Amino acid sequence: MGEESVLTRRRRARAAELARASAEGAPRPALLLGSVAVIATCGLLYELIAGTLASYLLGDSVTQFSTVIGVYLFSMGVGSWLSRYLGGSLLRWFIRLEILVGLVGGASAPLLFGLFAHVGSFRVLLYGLVGLLGTLVGLEIPLLLRILQGRLAFKELVARVFTFDYVGSLLAAVIFPLVLVPRLGLVRTALLFGALNVVVAGVSLLSFTETRPYRRRYLALIAGALLALGAGVVEAERIQRYAEGEVFQDTVIYAQSTPYQRLVLTGNHRGELRLFLNGNLQFSSADEYRYHEALVHPALQDRPRARRILVLGGGDGLAVREILRYPQVEHIRLIDLDPAMTKLFRSNQLLRELNKNSLHSPKLEIHNADAYAWLRQDTARYDVVFVDFPDPGNYSIGKLYSTAFYHTLRQRLRPGGLVVVQATSPYVARRAYWCVVHTLQASDFTTVPYHAYVPSFGEWGYVLAQAQPGTWRPDGEALPPNLRFVTSAVVGQLRAFPPDMREVPTEINQLNNQALVRYFEEEWGPYGQ
Amino acid sequence: MPLPRRQFLTQASAGLAGTLLAGLLGSVPGCAPARSTVQGRLRGAGHALGHLLRTPGKIPPPTHVESTDVVIIGGGVSGLAARRELHRLAPGQRTILLELETDTGGNAAAGRNDRTAYPWGAHYLPIPDERDTELLAFLRAADVLTGYDAATGWPIYNEAHLCHDPHERLLLHGHWQAGLVPEVGVPAADRLELERFLAEVEQLRRATGPDGRDLFRLPLALSSTDPATRQLDAETMAAWLTRRGYRSEYLRWYLDYSYRDDFGVPAAQISAWAGLHYFAARKGRAHNAPSDAVLTWPAGNHFLAAALRQQGGPGEVRTESLVFGLREASDGLVEVLVYDARTRQSTAIRARQVILATPWHVAKHLLPSPPPLPDLAPLHAPWLVANLTVDDYPGGPGQPLCWDNVRYGSPALGYINAEHQALRGFEPDGPHSLTFYWALPTNPADPAAARRHALASSYADWLTLVLTELDLMHPDLAAQVTAADLWVWGHGMVAPTPGYVWGPARQRAAQPWLGGRVHLAHTDFSGMSVFEEAFHQGRRAAHAALAAVPVA
Repeated sequence: MGEESVLTRRRRARAAELARASAEGAPRPALLLGSVAVIATCGLLYELIAGTLASYLLGDSVTQFSTVIGVYLFSMGVGSWLSRYLGGSLLRWFIRLEILVGLVGGASAPLLFGLFAHVGSFRVLLYGLVGLLGTLVGLEIPLLLRILQGRLAFKELVARVFTFDYVGSLLAAVIFPLVLVPRLGLVRTALLFGALNVVVAGVSLLSFTETRPYRRRYLALIAGALLALGAGVVEAERIQRYAEGEVFQDTVIYAQSTPYQRLVLTGNHRGELRLFLNGNLQFSSADEYRYHEALVHPALQDRPRARRILVLGGGDGLAVREILRYPQVEHIRLIDLDPAMTKLFRSNQLLRELNKNSLHSPKLEIHNADAYAWLRQDTARYDVVFVDFPDPGNYSIGKLYSTAFYHTLRQRLRPGGLVVVQATSPYVARRAYWCVVHTLQASDFTTVPYHAYVPSFGEWGYVLAQAQPGTWRPDGEALPPNLRFVTSAVVGQLRAFPPDMREVPTEINQLNNQALVRYFEEEWGPYGQ
Repeated sequence: MPLPRRQFLTQASAGLAGTLLAGLLGSVPGCAPARSTVQGRLRGAGHALGHLLRTPGKIPPPTHVESTDVVIIGGGVSGLAARRELHRLAPGQRTILLELETDTGGNAAAGRNDRTAYPWGAHYLPIPDERDTELLAFLRAADVLTGYDAATGWPIYNEAHLCHDPHERLLLHGHWQAGLVPEVGVPAADRLELERFLAEVEQLRRATGPDGRDLFRLPLALSSTDPATRQLDAETMAAWLTRRGYRSEYLRWYLDYSYRDDFGVPAAQISAWAGLHYFAARKGRAHNAPSDAVLTWPAGNHFLAAALRQQGGPGEVRTESLVFGLREASDGLVEVLVYDARTRQSTAIRARQVILATPWHVAKHLLPSPPPLPDLAPLHAPWLVANLTVDDYPGGPGQPLCWDNVRYGSPALGYINAEHQALRGFEPDGPHSLTFYWALPTNPADPAAARRHALASSYADWLTLVLTELDLMHPDLAAQVTAADLWVWGHGMVAPTPGYVWGPARQRAAQPWLGGRVHLAHTDFSGMSVFEEAFHQGRRAAHAALAAVPVA
């Protein structure tokens, strides 16, 4: 049979020790030490989740991780200090604490995602939550040490508790990036580990006889907490189903279905925000300046007397941001279909930083209406109109690129007025792009086709259309300072089309033929748009 | 798929609306959509007031006398076109137009819900033959036609009024295909037959007779007098198809659908001349649209009726007015006896000329008895038009929602998306307003039977019928219907039955009556209830009236 191994002997010794302890009616240290590992894993995970989330939402991951860890550790210190004020039944305190940590920790990620778009200052919410969580987690170890005090020798106690603490931390640090984020995502990870904290409370409650008097009440509490966290998982499923479906490469930080469209905002650790409408990329904060500078400046650099501007679409306020660089502009009217869009870009702090608060400009007037319906009843006249509609991917939007629409638009221009139309990619959808050009020509505009390279989009096309020929020059030399993309020289270059994007003959897009939608579908179809 | 329709036809000619429903529902087990939450009502062209004509004793005798130059009886497209023409040619003439309904427009009626205007009847006009300069001039004045291309001389139509793309889709083999000519999944032999037929009518479209006129033209009076072609009026379209070896079920369905859509009855009940005219008389050309383009409006042809009325000058238009008598007065005038349903009083209007722009079943009661033309018996199928508000987008596999949406094999005619012509850049997922058309089967031997049963059926009967059809087009959408207004036309439109168009009776009816002072103007005297015919019926009558009385 062989000789007893050292390990077996040790195990037997510990079992004897435990038997002695339970015979005395005291808490079982093994159970509590196991809890330490779980608690430690959870504690570190909350910290990692908050740090990751902050870098997704705010960008600059080094700063975000550093500040989140700092605040968290400091708050743990505060918690440790506060633990001295806890007296009476320590086990009962511990159970309460675990339920609370589970709820706050579990709710942390859904709360941060959910409130991101709605709170004035996201940082206050973030650090407030991190501070609260750190404080609660900071109470845990001191409380456990006090519970186990007297059951083990001090040296044993400290050695074992901290060993399990650090083992738990290692576990968390390894599984977080390798398993949890890719498999579960941040929200479900937080909710799952919140539930583990609550389970620790439950196990403690059921394992110790001294909890009998209040067992039933606390069991109900625990069941309620687990239910709440479970409901959160279901809800998270709804919020994040796009992200889980791997439609977006980054984390979905905001999603809303409005009567008009589905708005999804994603973020990544580089702090890059992307807006998707119905799954189509509208902008990436990394290079949207190229798109919007190219949309606005070629027209306005030659319009020193432009007073009244109309923007159709563009509820993100990014085109308006560029227009506001021109002091001569007195009034901008923005027509965007979806009130949720303009509200989001008026209220959210990060998006307001991106559009430089343009949607709060006193020069701006916002109307949430269908642009075609609006134009047909409008009586004002404009110096420049920027048409920034979604791509003509369906028959409804196709109407906004028709000769009928451009005729209506033309009547809203002052003499010598300009229109700039975003017109999809002349590289991918060459016929669609030139169809827009030809449709504007058929609507009695004199066109200046141009294109710009926007890394997120690729080659992107625009059409500048003059109500009267020869009223626009590329060298207006009135460009505002500090542009990152457009210069006088660039305005000249944008108009050159290499052979692979050169003009091709197309039909004219009319309401009764929707030629553009067909071109667009044929050309973008292979890209799965 | 064709089975339900046959069954439906048999059952319907047998009579009762109840059986009629059972015929359709019985063939589609498990289809009884809930309808308890649907709001709406049943309407119909004012037949109650119209039927007073049959019991003249109930109408009070005239209590006052008025006089005018021309009275126009009937405010449908023919009457409105006559009024417009009178105003154009002789603006000094005083006219009074008398209309039975609360609004003018006749079959070109329209309604409105909180989303959109929608048609209750005729709802489109194919771009007209550009030689029809009178019609083009009207369209120009209505801003439907905006000008002419300098190079070709072809009309340029207002793009907002051309039917927007996508036009039509057909639910065939569980999939919505673009266009109404069956294509997807159709066997090669049938496709060949369809192509052969379309090629044959295309040839007829370009063909001229020995007299140099087009074989087929609108207005149909301008068609060739070639006896061989007119001979086609004697046989049915169905017989002609059989004679020419057209057997494909797909082709036969497509033609039946087309004829029921324009005439209310299938190929077996119209003449071959009319069946070919349907395709071969479409000669429109436009600078900015293909030759098969159509013009349409949210309110359907009520838009055109309103434009006719608006271009008709200041002459008085009296609605809810029932004309119950015409008689020659002593001083060479005609006395028009009219009952005003609002004041419940009758008036005698003494006029120099009268244009009688009503269907024949009304006109024959007004002309001196006995009925002058016992052999003139235009067939009118009853129609059901249903305007539904559905709470969801009517999508389905394949082609998205179009203007005209039809189910292959259906006894109904499908539905029009009333909001199709809306000028907006966003198609909501939510409520849509759909207008269903259904030309109800008619037995030519006893057309009154179908009409009686149609008028006797209840709102719930009709609604069940419409919802069943909707359910077959869009499973689950029937449960999303929130409102349904129904309109039953006892007399829909005239069918060009064999011998009707080129028979002697129709042509005799067009002669003036009552000493040359009463002129008939109605598509019943064309044999085809289309806007172009009504327009020219009205014009012809106006010219006749003015020729009889020199302009003062």
